[in-house]
Amino acid sequence: MYEEKVKELKELLGLKGSPVAVKLVKSADEIPEGYLKISEKKRHCEFVQDARLTGNKGYATSDEHMCKGGAGVMGIEPLPVSVASGKMYHQLGNFETPEGAQETVAAIPKSSENYYASIYSPLESAEYEPDVIVLVITPKQALRVSQAYLRAKGGRISSDYSGIQSLCADAVVAVKERGVPNMTLGCSGSRKYAKVADEEVVIGIPPKNFVDIVDALKTFKGKWGEL
Amino acid sequence: MKTVQALGIKAPNSAILAENIIKNGADDGLILTLSPGSEEGLENIAEKYGFAFEMENSDKQVVVRMTKSQAVELDVTGETCPGPIILVGDKLSSMATGERLKVKSKSSEAIEDIAISIPEMSGKVVEKGTDDNKSYILLEKVEKTTSTSTAVANRDKVLVAQSNGIGNAERAYATFIFSKAALSMGKKVTIFLLMDGVSIAKKGNAKKVKHPAFDRLDKLMIEVIEMGAKVYVCELSAEFRGMKQDDLVKGTSLAGAATYITLLSDPTYAVVNF
Repeated sequence: MYEEKVKELKELLGLKGSPVAVKLVKSADEIPEGYLKISEKKRHCEFVQDARLTGNKGYATSDEHMCKGGAGVMGIEPLPVSVASGKMYHQLGNFETPEGAQETVAAIPKSSENYYASIYSPLESAEYEPDVIVLVITPKQALRVSQAYLRAKGGRISSDYSGIQSLCADAVVAVKERGVPNMTLGCSGSRKYAKVADEEVVIGIPPKNFVDIVDALKTFKGKWGEL
Repeated sequence: MKTVQALGIKAPNSAILAENIIKNGADDGLILTLSPGSEEGLENIAEKYGFAFEMENSDKQVVVRMTKSQAVELDVTGETCPGPIILVGDKLSSMATGERLKVKSKSSEAIEDIAISIPEMSGKVVEKGTDDNKSYILLEKVEKTTSTSTAVANRDKVLVAQSNGIGNAERAYATFIFSKAALSMGKKVTIFLLMDGVSIAKKGNAKKVKHPAFDRLDKLMIEVIEMGAKVYVCELSAEFRGMKQDDLVKGTSLAGAATYITLLSDPTYAVVNF
């Protein structure tokens, strides 16, 4: 579906790994044929990195999601009370006051619907239309993607994040719900467990913008010589 | 119409986000839920894209509507129960989240009936009043919320148990009229015919029932089946009356006591007896 465009994108930006196709489904019937339940219990951000760097494909229900905060914001299971109330983040020392923690978690993007599972695949070999395409890239590559997104209609990009629940809430839920890209700097979990590198940032983009972004990058390359 | 929660995003980023969402596909409007104070600059965005701007303050939130479409109007004057609720249900099901429907009637009772039912029908009441000697209610299509708690069951199904049959025309009619109303409200409907109730499903019987104010019973039954209602006929009651599956009208099927007990025991069903 996106094979050729991903190939172009990888060449244009010199990407490490693949864009990742993430989809949330409401029932087992919606799992594409050939996609198996991920055998190892891990975090959403790890599933994304596995698809990106090792080409893993599969789906994860609440049983496979180790990070309950991530599964919670994606609507795969109820958000744990300690996370939803902000208590956990306050106890971890992220916030000076419980009120600050509460205000922050209340504003984290959350799925407006409930889901059965999340599906992952490198975009070039995904046999389904994703809800969101997640890119783990360098700031310079993110700059080019942002410029490419704005090429069609201009304007500005407003990205928002709070440094917690990034690859789940910021890069997937916010993008799926709003229908526009969002950039995030990762969170402690995605840096520590999913090994998002120090020199990398994360952008979620709606699939409907993907081809235009690649085409804009190609145009830039033609005009600017290099990206 | 796109509906987006964007709590915690401060101005001017809230306006940048709103414009980005509109440009990237929300051509017919956007409803944003924001933190108080973040609405700054959004009125200018609405004006730029030719949207009407409306703001509603609620507890710790500001809901900003930037929409192009006016409310769709529906006059249900003259319709008798459950006609108004069926018409409203049908109309709402074809509308997108955030769109509005203004329902008018000379009967204030009909409007009140809609006001009570609307939370069950993916709608919310925006305004009520009178206009040109008619009562009206302004409704907004909203996302149906589902409980995430396992302790609370969503009662989104209706089981209509009918044990009187064609011998009691009013109860026979009520079975299908209430089912039709429930289907229009987005409920799943299962009808269980038992005792004398099985006579309704016997080929040719329902054709004999006709009240001047209503459609013939068999036509009403077919309509409800085609709308998606499942109709079971109690196997024991049928056997008692010498009826087999071949004797039943199309769309109805024999079912045992276990099916009935299972349906009755399911907390997601509201049970109505006729």
